[in-house]
Amino acid sequence: MIYDDLNIIFPEIFLSVYAMVALLGVVYTSKDELAKRVTWVTAFIFILVAFLIIFSEEKTEIAFGGMFINDAFSRFSKIIILLSAAVVLVMGQEYMSRRGFLRFEYPLIVTLSVVGMMVMVSAGDLMSLYMGLELQSLALYVIAAFKKDSVKSTEAGLKYFVLGALSSGLLLYGSALVYGYSGTTLFSGILSNVSTDAPSLGLLFGLALVIAGLAFKVSAVPFHMWTPDVYEGAPTPVTAFFATVPKMAAICLFIRVMYDAFGNIINDWQQIIALLSILSMFLGAFAAIGQTDLKRLLAYSSIAHMGYALIGLAAGTEFGVQSVLEYMTIYITMNIGVFAIVMSMQQDGQSVTEIASLKMISETDPGKAIALVILLFSLAGIPPMLGFFAKFEVLRAAINAELVYLAVLGVLASVIGAFYYLRIVYFIYFGEMPETPLDDAKSPILRTIWTASAAIMIFGIVSLLGVEQMAKAAAFSLLN
Amino acid sequence: MEQIILFSPLIGAVIGGFFWKSIGEKAAIYLTIVLLFASCFLSWIVFLSHGLATEKITLFRWIVSGNLSADWSIRLDRLTSIMLVVVTSVSALVHLYSVGYMAHDENWQDDERYKARFFAYLSFFTFAMLMLVTSDNLVQMFFGWEGVGVASYLLIGFYYKKQSANAAAIKAFVVNRVGDFGFALGIFALFMVTGSINFDDIFVAAPKLAETTLTFLWTDWNAANLIAILLFIGAMGKSAQLFLHTWLPDAMEGPTPVSALIHAATMVTAGVFLVCRMSPLMEYAPAALGFITIIGAFTAFVAATIGLVQNDIKRVIAYSTMSQLGYMFVAAGVGAYSVAMFHLFTHAFFKAMLFLGAGSVIHAMHHEQDMRNYGGLRKKIPYTFWAMMIGTLAITGVGIPLTHVGFAGFLSKDAVIESAWAGTNAGFAFWTLVIAALFTSFYSWRLMLMTFFGQPKSDSHAYSHAKESPMVMLIPLGLLGLGAILSGMIWYSSFFGKDYQVANFFGIESEYQQTLPKTKEENIVEKNNEKLEDALPPQGAIYMSPENHVLHDAHYAPIWVKISPFIAMLLGLLMALWFYVWDKKKPSEWASTLDPLYRFLLNKWYFDEIYEILFVSRAKVIGRIFWKKGDGGIIDGSINGIAMSLVPLVTRISTRFQSGYIFSYALAMVLGILLLLTWMIFAVGVK
Amino acid sequence: MDDLLLEYLPILVFLGIALGLGIILLLAAAVIAIRNPDPEKVSAYECGFNAFDDARMKFDVRFYLVSILFIIFDLEIAFLFPWAVAFQDISMIGFWSMIVFLGVLTVGFAYEWKKGALEWE
Repeated sequence: MIYDDLNIIFPEIFLSVYAMVALLGVVYTSKDELAKRVTWVTAFIFILVAFLIIFSEEKTEIAFGGMFINDAFSRFSKIIILLSAAVVLVMGQEYMSRRGFLRFEYPLIVTLSVVGMMVMVSAGDLMSLYMGLELQSLALYVIAAFKKDSVKSTEAGLKYFVLGALSSGLLLYGSALVYGYSGTTLFSGILSNVSTDAPSLGLLFGLALVIAGLAFKVSAVPFHMWTPDVYEGAPTPVTAFFATVPKMAAICLFIRVMYDAFGNIINDWQQIIALLSILSMFLGAFAAIGQTDLKRLLAYSSIAHMGYALIGLAAGTEFGVQSVLEYMTIYITMNIGVFAIVMSMQQDGQSVTEIASLKMISETDPGKAIALVILLFSLAGIPPMLGFFAKFEVLRAAINAELVYLAVLGVLASVIGAFYYLRIVYFIYFGEMPETPLDDAKSPILRTIWTASAAIMIFGIVSLLGVEQMAKAAAFSLLN
Repeated sequence: MEQIILFSPLIGAVIGGFFWKSIGEKAAIYLTIVLLFASCFLSWIVFLSHGLATEKITLFRWIVSGNLSADWSIRLDRLTSIMLVVVTSVSALVHLYSVGYMAHDENWQDDERYKARFFAYLSFFTFAMLMLVTSDNLVQMFFGWEGVGVASYLLIGFYYKKQSANAAAIKAFVVNRVGDFGFALGIFALFMVTGSINFDDIFVAAPKLAETTLTFLWTDWNAANLIAILLFIGAMGKSAQLFLHTWLPDAMEGPTPVSALIHAATMVTAGVFLVCRMSPLMEYAPAALGFITIIGAFTAFVAATIGLVQNDIKRVIAYSTMSQLGYMFVAAGVGAYSVAMFHLFTHAFFKAMLFLGAGSVIHAMHHEQDMRNYGGLRKKIPYTFWAMMIGTLAITGVGIPLTHVGFAGFLSKDAVIESAWAGTNAGFAFWTLVIAALFTSFYSWRLMLMTFFGQPKSDSHAYSHAKESPMVMLIPLGLLGLGAILSGMIWYSSFFGKDYQVANFFGIESEYQQTLPKTKEENIVEKNNEKLEDALPPQGAIYMSPENHVLHDAHYAPIWVKISPFIAMLLGLLMALWFYVWDKKKPSEWASTLDPLYRFLLNKWYFDEIYEILFVSRAKVIGRIFWKKGDGGIIDGSINGIAMSLVPLVTRISTRFQSGYIFSYALAMVLGILLLLTWMIFAVGVK
Repeated sequence: MDDLLLEYLPILVFLGIALGLGIILLLAAAVIAIRNPDPEKVSAYECGFNAFDDARMKFDVRFYLVSILFIIFDLEIAFLFPWAVAFQDISMIGFWSMIVFLGVLTVGFAYEWKKGALEWE
């Protein structure tokens, strides 16, 4: 019995044991000298575990009396989480070691946060949900402040921690209310105990608080305030990590809770999610216009993108779930590419993130310029880039669910949002030559990553390179 | 092989157009020429070796959307192979000719490179034209149709520094838009009624269309007639038929090789091709055919009258082209599609030749185009003279009456006129065409006499410096000359021979087999097979319904009908000689006595002026309203208002909340919670 | 549902008493106490010294470190205590779960030791 359960959570156990063993092993030997190697090994292990999951049996399993669910949905999320975490690790190690703050703890903390995310997306109970969420969050607080001697980085870590604690509190309070009014913390129990017609107000309050806590994690407006500051303050590789992997986990957890626990009262949460989605899309679009720092701009961009992902969730249909999963996969892929470029930006050896420093890189580095333009077009959702199809799918889900107003507002917001992406394109090709152009960053790894990312944006339109089918299966397994 | 024919011009256009800088201008030019000649060579092989069956070669899928499915494909039958030969041959020769003609163009500075662009455009045009003629569905055809339109636009406006060239290019494009709109409506209507835009499906459905009623413009129409007329409106635009013809004379602003290729031999005949291609539909649209005949006859007549008085050498030939296109439409309109194709085929040779000859004259005379400044050029440029002479003999229709010996135009034009006689029972169209033939003869000889005979009128400088064109320009003339002399005689029987010969050539089930009295058993078998046969499109490249005997009857025209065009030609020749050789004062005398008529013709029946008042000025007024009020005021105004004031305002507000203090962030979260909770309370309350 | 809520009644009573007591104490101080302020009385109490700095001064971060380490092991006791009390009633799984928990905690302890977090200087 217990062995079956342990078998199901084997990937998580494996990663945890790896993290602990590596932590002790390295700290008792040569410490930071091994940091680079540990990073590579960790990335390799992520990919290994991802393949382990890819080639595992395709069935739905339940462990620990329903607290942990292993289905196509969680497998899909885990694969994306592991693969993107591996890429982000590889991408960041060079940047961090060149600037002298790559420590061996970094990949191991990332490992722990990945374990947390894997628990999140598999959670079948409010308690395992909270456990995964906290494990993930605590690890993220630490790496946000990873550059200890940088005021901005520590400030980012502190802000993230304090506000994260607040959101955890909200989530816990909401969970308590839900438990109080449904008598159980199991999602399946909540689903069967909650009356479909007239849920009690207390339960709805609990639901609202749970949504607030989760909205903080996906940085949906108005729980987004930490995002720009933390993105700007945290070291760029960490920002790259924040913008991609945890977002996937948080959105998947969001979907999981909404459908598995509150799938009977879709009408009660649909409007709230739609509201959060609209606020996020528009605030992301408007506020990004005023930014001069690329990382801050990307923070608002990610807020807006989360708004689009929430459209698919608000649709409340199987296709909606599928569209969110596709959206997130595409979003992560293009953000990795953009951050690879951001990491390569430096002037006289100092890394810079001002948008203005991108002026005329079409002259100094045409390949990078084209890749960046493709990625920006994709972020803005301009066809035929993949980003367009991502938006198209969620909007289609909204229309199929008869949320036409949501789709219309989504299109409007994306028109406004296109402005700031196109402004960067303008700088790249038509700005005047800056006095000190960007250095020629010689980083074959970053170059490979952004080129691949840009190439996927163009060539991925063929059935999203197979992701579409997987997302479909995942959505099916969640709703049936 | 067909793929090579189709795509080698495209390759030439792409390489020549985009990469001439890397391979060099010369190399780009020669590449396009070599590719075009290869394409031409293969086309002739296809033309001579192609069997009767209709072949379909699917290249790849293009559009699949609901019921609509269109492939990129090649439909290879007799019509296609004729057009392949015409297009690639003329195009290849024009490419070659252009090497000489475009060598030193005074419209460009010495350091400006323009030649590669020119050849790329020519090759692009050829590709689009081939796309048009090889299409297996109307959408691909429309693609080619618009492609040639674009190429034509680019080439008319090739001298983009000249204001008049730009204006002409825009005019050509806009006037064609009217026709294309009709064409597009026709395609839509066909798709609406038959649910398909593939030729085979349409042809199968044609008999049913004749019994369907469509409501269009608040009127009930017979579907077949309506669609045929809409398609023909497209053809009118492209083939410069009356009312949509005004762009063609202006299109002469383009370089002369362009006029030869696009505005004489190929693109303008696309309309004729369209009508012939749609013959299975046309056969069920008698009213539309009548309309085509009348428009064609009028065009032939009007264009010929205008041609009588024009002084610009290229414009004379342009109006002659328009007039000849009218002939083709008359032939198609009376149901003699093969005759229309015959005239199209021969006309391509002699008209291209006339244009290239005119180009050679213009080249020799340092880009002087006014014929009043020519004269006595016969000795200066003898090869050009003889080439033009052949072209003139061909267009005026010189041959031995009542035999099948003569220049190309003699055979095809007579065939058209005889068909017109048979198709209209010696009616209006027949007489119009005969008179037009007289005018044709007059203006053609007038051109020859004013240009090559008499005393040099231009200032002695231009005359004395006139010299024969180089060989690259003369060889195409020679080859086209061969075509102008022989093409009629060689293919006479194929296009206009005995019924079975024509049927053989076009791969049609012989008409005789159908009309032969049938035994009872055959009748029964046929009845059983009727349903099966219904599902098959009619065989062959063109379709003539069993009731259509025009081709057959034309052969039994009385002798006076058969020699009437010849007599008209002789009369025209005599008039020209009288006016321009024997009594040189006559033209000015006539012009002053018949002043209103003269000016009416000189001003091209005032079409441009009427259009200016009726449409252009009004369109400009409407356009100005939309531009100033609509675009500038409402659209720009609102967008600017939003973009310049509203968006920055919201941006400022939204960034102001981002204060950097944790407590304000926490406050935002708390307010958010309150919002959600309030929402929940109200949501429950509503229930 | 009512039964469930009834079980929480003692907590409600407890909350009420706590609230009432707090209010009474605050009010008592306000009502009964004699107020006679002078500068010495209202200044910050600084362990025998005169107050020479703002009370909101920076502390050495090492204090936090120690307190956090303390809290971790403090919480460990909070877990261990009920576990030990119910030791006879729990299964092997319960036993081993706690052992694994202690093991993980030990890993952390070993790490911080080696990292030097326990050394003051």
